[in-house]
Formats: sequence, C-alpha cells, structure tokens
Amino acid sequence: MKPTTDSPLIDRRRFVKVSALAGGGLLIGTYVHLGELEAAEALPAAADFAPNAFISISSSGAVSLIAPNSEMGQGVKTSLPMIVAEELDVAWEQVTVTQGDLNPAYGRQTSVGSQSTPSNFMPLRRAGAMARAMLVQAAAEKWNIPAAECTTDRGVVIHAASKRRATYGELATKAAALTPPLNVQLKDPKDFKLLGTRVPGVDNPKIVTGAPLFGIDVQLPGMLYATYTKCPVFGGKVVSANLDAVKARPGVRDAFVLDGIQGLPSGVAVVADSTWNAFGATKALQVVWDEGPVASQNSAEMAKQAEALAAATPAPPLSDGVKAVKAAYHYPFLVHATLEPQNCTAVFKNGVMEMWAPSQIPAVGQGLVSNGLHLDPKNIVVHITRLGGGFGRRGSNEFSIEAGAIAKKLEGTPVKLMWPREYDFAHDNYRSNGWHYFTAGLDSSGKVVALHDAFVKMLGGPGDMYPGVFPFNAIPGAEVKSSKLPGGIPTGFWRAPGDNGNVWATQCFVDELAHAAGRDPLAFTLDLLDSAASQSGFDARRMSTVLKLATDKAGWGRQRPRGEGQGFAITRTMGAYVAIVADVIVSQGGDLTITKLTAAVDAGTIINLSAAEAQVQGAMLDGISAAWFQKITIEHGAAAQTNFDDYPMLRMNDSPRLMEVQFVKSTAPPSGLGEPGLPAAAPAVCNAIFAATGKRIRTLPIIGESLKWS
Amino acid sequence: MSKYTLNVNGRTRSVDVAPDTPMLWVLRDALSLVGTKYGCGIGECGACTIHLDGTPARACQTQVSSVGSKSVTTIEGLDPAGKHPLQKAWCELDVPQCGYCQAGQLMTAAALLKKNPQPTDADIDRAMGGNLCRCASYFRIRQGIKRAAEIASGRTPAQGGSR
Repeated sequence: MKPTTDSPLIDRRRFVKVSALAGGGLLIGTYVHLGELEAAEALPAAADFAPNAFISISSSGAVSLIAPNSEMGQGVKTSLPMIVAEELDVAWEQVTVTQGDLNPAYGRQTSVGSQSTPSNFMPLRRAGAMARAMLVQAAAEKWNIPAAECTTDRGVVIHAASKRRATYGELATKAAALTPPLNVQLKDPKDFKLLGTRVPGVDNPKIVTGAPLFGIDVQLPGMLYATYTKCPVFGGKVVSANLDAVKARPGVRDAFVLDGIQGLPSGVAVVADSTWNAFGATKALQVVWDEGPVASQNSAEMAKQAEALAAATPAPPLSDGVKAVKAAYHYPFLVHATLEPQNCTAVFKNGVMEMWAPSQIPAVGQGLVSNGLHLDPKNIVVHITRLGGGFGRRGSNEFSIEAGAIAKKLEGTPVKLMWPREYDFAHDNYRSNGWHYFTAGLDSSGKVVALHDAFVKMLGGPGDMYPGVFPFNAIPGAEVKSSKLPGGIPTGFWRAPGDNGNVWATQCFVDELAHAAGRDPLAFTLDLLDSAASQSGFDARRMSTVLKLATDKAGWGRQRPRGEGQGFAITRTMGAYVAIVADVIVSQGGDLTITKLTAAVDAGTIINLSAAEAQVQGAMLDGISAAWFQKITIEHGAAAQTNFDDYPMLRMNDSPRLMEVQFVKSTAPPSGLGEPGLPAAAPAVCNAIFAATGKRIRTLPIIGESLKWS
Repeated sequence: MSKYTLNVNGRTRSVDVAPDTPMLWVLRDALSLVGTKYGCGIGECGACTIHLDGTPARACQTQVSSVGSKSVTTIEGLDPAGKHPLQKAWCELDVPQCGYCQAGQLMTAAALLKKNPQPTDADIDRAMGGNLCRCASYFRIRQGIKRAAEIASGRTPAQGGSR
C-alpha cells in the first residue's frame, strides 16, 4: 500500500465503490486515503479495498454495519454505526453491528486521541447517504418516476403521490447494479432522527450475562497459558534464570528466555496448562538481571533535578508596581491500570500468526510482530476484541509481540499471554510526572500583566506545555520554558495527554490569581477569556459560553458556610470545550466529600447522548480519582506500587451522588468525547477545597495533603 | 491435582485442579465460564465477585478446596436470559462503559437487592464500595440499582432516559 497523505485532494477524490454481495445485496464502503484509493481501483477483490466502514443490506432487508474501531467503553461500536444508520435512514432496530478485524479495507482503525468520531463522521455520513441515494434511484427506476419525488423513512422508499412503498431489502439487488452518484445530498442536521438520541451500547446484553467479549475471554482448543517476565528496572536484561526449577513446577509445559528480538524487551516466558499454574511457576522464577543505568533513578532525585532545571529558566523581572504571585505545582507519575490486565492470544500455524488483541491501535501490534518475528503483515491476522478499558494504555501493544514471540516458539499451539496485575503496574507507559513553577504579575487594578511557567517533565512521550493554551493566550508576553528530565522511565499517552496534569496546574493557578487580585474567580476568568487570542483554533466565545452555563446551573456565587466550597475549571481538550463546577464539603477533621459535579460541554454535534453523557461523567471521576488518590513513585528505577492495595482508586462511596452534564446544542462537527471531560474536574475540586478551607493543593495526590481546618 | 465436584449455576461440574487453585481460574480456565473477571488477584477490585450459597465472595480469594457442596452462582447463572431486574436496568440505563467490572458489580448488587429490596444511597455505598469501576460508571450503577428495585417491585419504566 502507498503511504497515505493529508492532501486536500482526498476530499474531492473520496468515492464510494459498490459491488454486489454474493446473496444479491448492496455492499458499500467509503474510501478516504488517496494512496489506498488508487490501490483499490487497481484491485478487483473486496478484501483489498480501503473503506473505513461497510454497509451491507441483504435482499431480506437485514442491515449489517461494521464497527471498524476498538471498543473500550468510549462507545464507538455503537456510535459509529449510528452515523451510517442516520444518513441511510434505517431504524436502529433493523441494524446488526459486527466488530471488524484489523483490515486495510477499514481504513485507520485507531482509537486514540478522541479521534474515532471526528475522523469518521463525514466519511460515514457520506457512506450512508450514498447508499440511500442509490436505493431511492432504484425505486424511481422501478416505478418510472423522478427520484426527487421519493422520500425515505426507516428503511423504506416512499412515493407519496402514488402511495407506493418499497423496502430497502426489496430494492437491494437493483440498487447494487447502479453506478454510484458522484455527489450526494447529506441530511440537514436539524433533520437528524437518530443522532443526538440515547442509544444503549450494542454489547450490553452480552456484558450483563457474562458472554465472552474481551481479549482475556478468548479460548481456543488446546490453548496454553503464558506469562512473560521482564526486568523490574526499565531497560534491564536477563543474565540467567532457574529455568529447570520452573519447568519442574506443576502444570508447566515450557520456560525459556527470549532475547534479541526487535521490539521485545529481554525476558523469561513461562508456559503452563492453566493461568494459575503459569502464575505459580512465575512466582518461583528467579532471574539474575543486568539492571542497567535506569536503576539509579528515583522520584525524590527527580524532584531535586526538576527544581534545578526550573531555576535555570527564571521569570524575567517584573515592572515596578507589579505584584508578583508565585506558586509551584507538581503532579506524579500515574499508571493506566485498565481493569482488564494486558493480555493477548496467539497461534502460529503454517506460517500464519493469528492473534486476538485487545488493542487501541491493532496495526501497531501487527507491525511489532511483523518486524520482530520477520513475518509478512499479510500473514498476521489480528482479531480486535473488546477492551476492558483503554485510557491510552493499549496503544503500545507490547503484549502483541510478547504473545507472538511465545506462540512462534510453540508453533502449532495456541497460547494466551496473561500479565499478572503486578506486571501491569511495573511495565506501563506511565503518565509523566510534571512540575510547573509559575510567576505572574498583577497590576494595581488586579489585571494579569505577566505570566511565566518554568515547566519540567520527563524526556519523551506526550504532555509538553505550550504558550498557545489558556490562560497564556490571554496575557501578552506570557511564556512557557519547558525542560526535560533524563529519559529511562517509559511515559506515554494517558487519557487527555498533557491536559490531564497541565490543566490542573494552570486552572488552579488562575484561581490563585483571582484571589490574589481580590476578585471573584468567575468574573476574573471571563475577563481573561475576553482577551484570549484565537490560537490553535481556541474559540474564547465557546469557552465562555460553557463556563457561564455550568456556573449558572451550579448556582455559582451563593454564600456558603466554612467547610463548604465551590470551585470551577475550564479546558479545551481534543476540540471540545468543557467547564466543570465542583461542590465539596470538607470536615474539620479534613475528610473530603464531593457532593456535586456540574459540567457544561460544547462538543459540537452529539452522536449518542447516552454515551456522550457517560463519557463526561466517567472522565470527570477518572480525573478526580487520579488527583485524589493516585501516585506512582519510582524507586531504584522501578515502580514502587504494585496493585490496587497501594494505589487506591475512587470507589462508589467517594463518588458524588449528584452529577449534571449539559451539552451545548450545536451543529458544529463533533469533537471526540473520550477525554475532554477529564482535565477540568480535578482543578475544579481543588479550587472548591480552597474555597471551603483556604487550603491550596499544589501537590498531587490530594490524599497526601492535610485538609484539616479550624 | 485433585478432583472436585462442584455445583455451579445449578449444574454438577467436575474439575481436576490443584487444591489451592482459586475459583476464579477454575471457572475461567477449567469450566469456560469467562464472565467472572480477573482484575487484581488480591480481593481489592471485586471484578471476580460470585455467590457462594447466595452470599457474595471474591473468586480470586476462594480456593476450590474450600467450596465443598456450596452452590456457586456466576454472572452466567444470574439469569441466562438477561431478565434479572438488574440486567434489565443495566441495559435500559446503558450502565456499562468498557463493561469489564460489570459482572462483579451485578453480582454484588444482586446480593444487596435480595437482602434489601429498596436500598438507600448509604446502603448502596456500603454494599458496592468493594467493586472498582475503572471507567467510574458509579453514577449509573447507583441509578441502575435503584431502577432494578423499581422493576422488581413492578413499577413502570423510567421516563426520560437515564436521568
């Protein structure tokens, strides 16, 4: 396949290719990438086409839609087919959704960066509209009338004047013989019937009855169970291991060292007849490691280094008469801790590697296996399973190469690689720690006239800080000086990368500035938004609108007794505008209760109101869970925390009983919604704690700080 | 290895496993009942919650040798047709996000409703505090339990979606 481009040609060249199904039906896919498009034209077989969605309508009227992207709770297995169904004008009850395997024919099957919906919205609408137009044309030809006189409703073409009706199933064979039109009319968004409604997830009936769905649920005849043990110190290598002793353990079929495979860290595989026997033998494994240079790293040392780095990028002196406000904020490493630990099932037979991968980017796993094991990608079949949580964790796919390497060694035998929870904590791509050393200047009227942020994070990975974001874009001359700690500890994409820590720090500091200026934080922030420049697509008006909406709904400004407080924070994340208000009660003894969260969100067009609301509810609590309780510390080049007993997670009793999510009515293109609800939640809570107690949280997690007041 | 005869979801099942094998892996690997989930292995997350004689238990902390003649109920046995009030409420209100913890949530909630058909918020906090949801779908889990209580008492469907 040729490399894809982002050429503007793509839109004009986008087309729909049609072919008849074996059973006499209509099969339509949309094509988005120029290179793939040319390849598709050259190839007769459907398998080599490059659509990013499929519609098939059987002559019996069954409508099958392929869900191309990985479902991890963000709702795309339901919402993406809903987009097609809307333009196709079928009733949702008529539709069957099937998860697509990894296949170039489905386009980019990546579920990261809240991009599944925005990147698929227009192509899937066109796919649905194209199919509808051809069904209408088929009816018009059958009835010998102009197509413009026909309407559609719930899978039926209607000619009102002659009172004739034909179902899509009746028209499917005739429609399949038609040439697809070059242009199709999309619905006016005000005519949407399905989009914006509440549609329950298509897998719910299976989830509530315990049917197999997830990667960990895959079972194959004769399957064995494996673990893969890597050095607890990042980058360390195996020197030797007590393989004979491990092989003598109950149920163990094999144990071996894997080293020198590209993309696979050196480690020890243990293969047994059950997960329990594999785990038991793994506990008996004794490995001599060459730990390597990362063993010298620890969190306490990093904090000292960060302070030194920040001191090397000081704020310029402030003008006379300008009041300085300084504060240092720190957030720690976080582990993703998807509730389904990493796993992957693979079998290597007759030169073909077949894999079942709970992956956010299955193509990356396929690439790792291809490069590491010298297999043609065509001989690596990847089935996409449901994911027991993603949060950015399952983009890196190391489970794929681990399972693939073990399966290749056990040629012919299926093997399920299972990470014990402790390995999931020990071998993550962590959310990077970060430090913000802020210096701001307030003039005599309380206006912010200077802002400097000396920012430090780990080298590599996402999460850097830029001056284009609010509030820097509201203050002329505001600057960010970013420094990096040495690499070694792997960091990566954790839900709302960058924003998940940086918005906490900046939004808490804005609240500090408002108080330092003696102003109401709401009026202060709205004034800042008034002077915010449009950068990186930032729309200050949309931001102000959600802030006013959320604070209005939450009753901002009411006097509260000491110990009760309200705080807010705002963010523009992944194209969505979010304002969150938190109501808290802090007892004199320092116990925190979050009583209510109120969110206002402008995410453009809402696809599935139920999933959209759930994502915002869950993301807010995810952000609060991390900020309140969670911290990974590095000791001797390794994560010190191992499981949920030393890395607590928010529970039902910590969860606010009141949550309100308001969406701004919009016909703007949809942003994603898997991540935007997260970043503003924790700063809203911290600002509310300040309002209740006068205590400013500048180091996370909150649980490490005393909230006692008197 | 030892042979055990178990009563699982109303059926007699025989397994040949090590006596210290947790029920979690007996169910998943030996009996292909994969609805019961592995989350932590130390009894902290509740994803593996099953019922032993109707009482919630952590399958990862329950050795097969300790089960004896107790009746074991898993998510697959709660109501295979999905007609338990909690299963209906979960679908109606679209409770699951990733869905991985939900078998454990449902089993804990089912035991709560059996003992306490009309639980208060405080009752729900107490009963459900041991079940982690990484997606933090707690708001709808709470709503789902209340809705299931309504369904079980024969009240009419909720109005206006999940609110």
